[in-house]
Amino acid sequence: MTNQTNHGGLQLTLAFDPRTCRHTLDGQSYVMHCHHYAALYTQLAEDCGMLDGKQLLADVAEETFHGVLSGYFARPELTSPAERFGAGEQYFRAIGMGLMKVTAAGPDYGEVTMPFSHLDAGWVKKWGNCDRPVNHLGRGFIAALFAAAFDRPRHSYAVTETVSIAAGAAESHFSVVAG
Amino acid sequence: MAIDRKRIIESLSRVKATPTEQGLIPAFNVYVNQFPTALWNSFAERLTRNVGANLLPVAEDLLVNAAHECGYHTGYGIITSEEWAAVVGPMIERNPEDVLYGAFAVFTAWGWAKADIAELEPCKRMVVRAYDYYEADSTVYGATSKPSAYMIRGVCAAFMDLAYGGPYDPTGKTGLNSFHCAQTKGIECGDDYGEFVVTASSFV
Repeated sequence: MTNQTNHGGLQLTLAFDPRTCRHTLDGQSYVMHCHHYAALYTQLAEDCGMLDGKQLLADVAEETFHGVLSGYFARPELTSPAERFGAGEQYFRAIGMGLMKVTAAGPDYGEVTMPFSHLDAGWVKKWGNCDRPVNHLGRGFIAALFAAAFDRPRHSYAVTETVSIAAGAAESHFSVVAG
Repeated sequence: MAIDRKRIIESLSRVKATPTEQGLIPAFNVYVNQFPTALWNSFAERLTRNVGANLLPVAEDLLVNAAHECGYHTGYGIITSEEWAAVVGPMIERNPEDVLYGAFAVFTAWGWAKADIAELEPCKRMVVRAYDYYEADSTVYGATSKPSAYMIRGVCAAFMDLAYGGPYDPTGKTGLNSFHCAQTKGIECGDDYGEFVVTASSFV
């Protein structure tokens, strides 16, 4: 069973395999989870004393989404940075991560705003505001987006969340710098 | 058994999670996300294989707990949803046992695991077998000595909490953690299926 959906020009193909009972999005295995799951993974990363859990969470997000986005960016209609950032924003929205906008970018830097965020909305709904930025999943996604958009390998960009919805701001801001 | 598992899977595997203009997916009283399974697997494996033997049980418990809370709250949202009422509700003759069987059909339909109840002693014990699940994907060669299905463990325990742990408590202070789950077999360990044994928590 397959189903095609259009997200602002980004065509996505969803499929369900009745034999394995797996769902795929353009061939990639994916699964629905809730904000409790994402928030508790993030809290685990935050509290992890034995290693840098925050960077680990950002790294696995970057590595996962770099592969996904690089696949989309191989499409002939997604060659310019503007087309690729637009597609990345649509994918971000399609998978329920929120609303993200790349407001400025070059090969060496980027500025990103996030008026709505799954992770932040879920964190606030579950525990209320916190005193620090916690969207490590979002940081990883943005690092993946910039690397894929500029045809660079993973871990080419450092992303810092400078303003955070979870910490009480109206929207989140991220700063991107080439490493 | 009134539960038509095949029909539930056929119907509810078609449920689409459509994002709002804000890119959020509110459904079943929670916000839903649709991430690649590799992301969850990668975090869990790297965490548990980096913390060392002394802290491994703690890390594993925290991963299971994330799924336990998710399964409890989202599970309640599912069994009180319009989709459930339309598809599964008419099939329920015995409550809560049929609800449990129906919940595992939904669990399967949504791609968490192709899992079903193998044994059920009401209020006491449940054995679940999973014949395909994404958490086994962490191992692509050979067999590991470390079972990796933390999500399934948490959700199995949560479903027993909802069935036999008393009224649903949105704060999670009661009901949640009435049961716990151990993984006794795993596809990632070389077994033909994953097996999960849920029993009442000793402190209840």
